[in-house]
Amino acid sequence: MKNPSILAVDDDPVIRHLLEQRLKKAHYRVQVAEDGYVAEKMLRTHTYDIVLTDLMMPGDIGGIEVLEIAKEINSRIEVILITAHSSVDTAVAAMKKGACDYLEKPINFDELFLRIDKIANMQTILRSAQDLQVAMDTTENVASSTIQNLEMQVTGLQNSLDRIENILREDHVPDDIKIHHALDIIAES
Amino acid sequence: MIKIAPAELTLISQYIQTITGIYLDQSKSYLFETRLSSIAEAQGCASYQQLVHKSRQDPSKKIEKDIIDAITTNETLFFRDKGPFELLQHKILPEVIDLRSAQAPLKTRIKIWSAASSTGQELYSIAIVIKELLRELSNYSFTLFGTDISDAAIAQASYGKYNRFEIERGLDKIYLQKYFTLFGDSWKIKDEIRGMVNFKKLNLMQPFTSLGKFDIIFCRNVAIYFTLEDRKKLFNKLADSLADDGYLVIGSTESLTGVCPRFVAKRHLRSIFYQKK
Repeated sequence: MKNPSILAVDDDPVIRHLLEQRLKKAHYRVQVAEDGYVAEKMLRTHTYDIVLTDLMMPGDIGGIEVLEIAKEINSRIEVILITAHSSVDTAVAAMKKGACDYLEKPINFDELFLRIDKIANMQTILRSAQDLQVAMDTTENVASSTIQNLEMQVTGLQNSLDRIENILREDHVPDDIKIHHALDIIAES
Repeated sequence: MIKIAPAELTLISQYIQTITGIYLDQSKSYLFETRLSSIAEAQGCASYQQLVHKSRQDPSKKIEKDIIDAITTNETLFFRDKGPFELLQHKILPEVIDLRSAQAPLKTRIKIWSAASSTGQELYSIAIVIKELLRELSNYSFTLFGTDISDAAIAQASYGKYNRFEIERGLDKIYLQKYFTLFGDSWKIKDEIRGMVNFKKLNLMQPFTSLGKFDIIFCRNVAIYFTLEDRKKLFNKLADSLADDGYLVIGSTESLTGVCPRFVAKRHLRSIFYQKK
C-alpha cells in the first residue's frame, strides 16, 4: 500500500497544526490549508488521495464546497469531514453528496488513522483493478481486431468458393473455360 | 466455505449448464465454491450434491434463481468498447431509420433487443445513442427491450442505479451529467431514458419466438459461455428473431464462423456486424 497523500483543511490554527504534526508523525504525506479558498487552489495544483476538511469554515467555501470541488477535480479523491457534534446532520447530508466519512470533534487520532488506512487500502485495490482492466482491454482489443480480420477473410473466401461452385456447376460451358474462370476467382481472392 | 468434492464436479457443472446454458469446465471448481457456498450454507446443505438435489425438488424455484444470480457474471459497462455504439450511431440506426421510415413515415416502428442485458448498461447506452441522434422522438416508436437470465440483474437494470465504479468506466462525463442524477455514491438513470426501455427475464436456452422480430439485436459476450452446440442453437434462433434486413451485433472477440451459416459478416470502419444472407 502506497502512503496516501492528504490535504488537511481547517481554519483553526491549533487544530490545523495538530493535524499536520500527528499525520506527519504517523508517516502520512500531508499538506495543510487554512481555508476553503487556499484548499481550492491546492486541489487544482496538486494531487491528493484524501482530503480532510472542517465542515464549518468562514467565507463562501466551507467543507461541503471543498468536498464538491475535490470531487469535481478528481472523483477518486476521498473526503473525510471533521464536524462538531451539533452538525452531524449536515455531515450526513454531505455523505449523500459523496463524502466518504465524517469524524466528530475532538478528533480521535487512532480512529482517524484507521479510517485513512481503510481508504488507502480501498484505493490500492481500486488501482490494481484498474490496472487489470487496462491489461484486459489491451488484450481484448488485439484479440478482437485479429478475430474480425479473420472473420472478414473467411467471409471473402466463402464468397469466392460459392462463386467457384456456381461456375463449376454450369451446364453449357466447356470444362476448360470453367476451370479458367475458377482460377481467375482464386487469383482475385 | 463448503469444499467441493471431485465426484460432485460433473453433476454441478451439468446442472448449471441445464439451468443457465453456461458451460463451466471442471477446472472452475473454485468458482462453484466461491459463488455457491453461501447458498448451500443458507439452505442447510452439507454438500453441493445436496444443494443440486434440493434445488431440483424446490417447486418455488427460489434456489435455482439464487444459483443463476450467483453464477452469471454481470461484467458490463456503459458503452463497453465504443465500437458497437459508434456502429449503431453512424451506420445501423441511420440505415434502419431510412428503411423503416420509408415504410411508415408518420410512425416509424423500430425494435431493438439487448439479448443479454445484464444490469442494463448496454440497453441504456443504446437509448442514449438514440436520444442523442434523434432528439425529437415523436415520429418514432422505439421498442428497447432487454432480457437476462438473472432476476437480480433484471432488478438492478430496471432500477437503473449504479455505483460510481460501475459508471465511471466507459461513460463520458457529459452523458453522466445529462442523463443521470447523483445519489450519494451512486448515479441513477433519469426517467427520460428509463422510460424508453423495458427489461424482462429470459433464458436464451428456451424458445423466444413469441418476442416477435427485431430490427437490431445486440447479443454480446454471452454465447462465449456456451458450448459450441448451444451457440449454434442460439444464433439459429436469433436468425429467426431478426428481420430479414435486420442487424446483429455480437461481442468484439466473438465470431460466427462455424457457428451460424445464415449470417454474413460485414465491416464498418473498425467494427463488424452481421446480416442474414
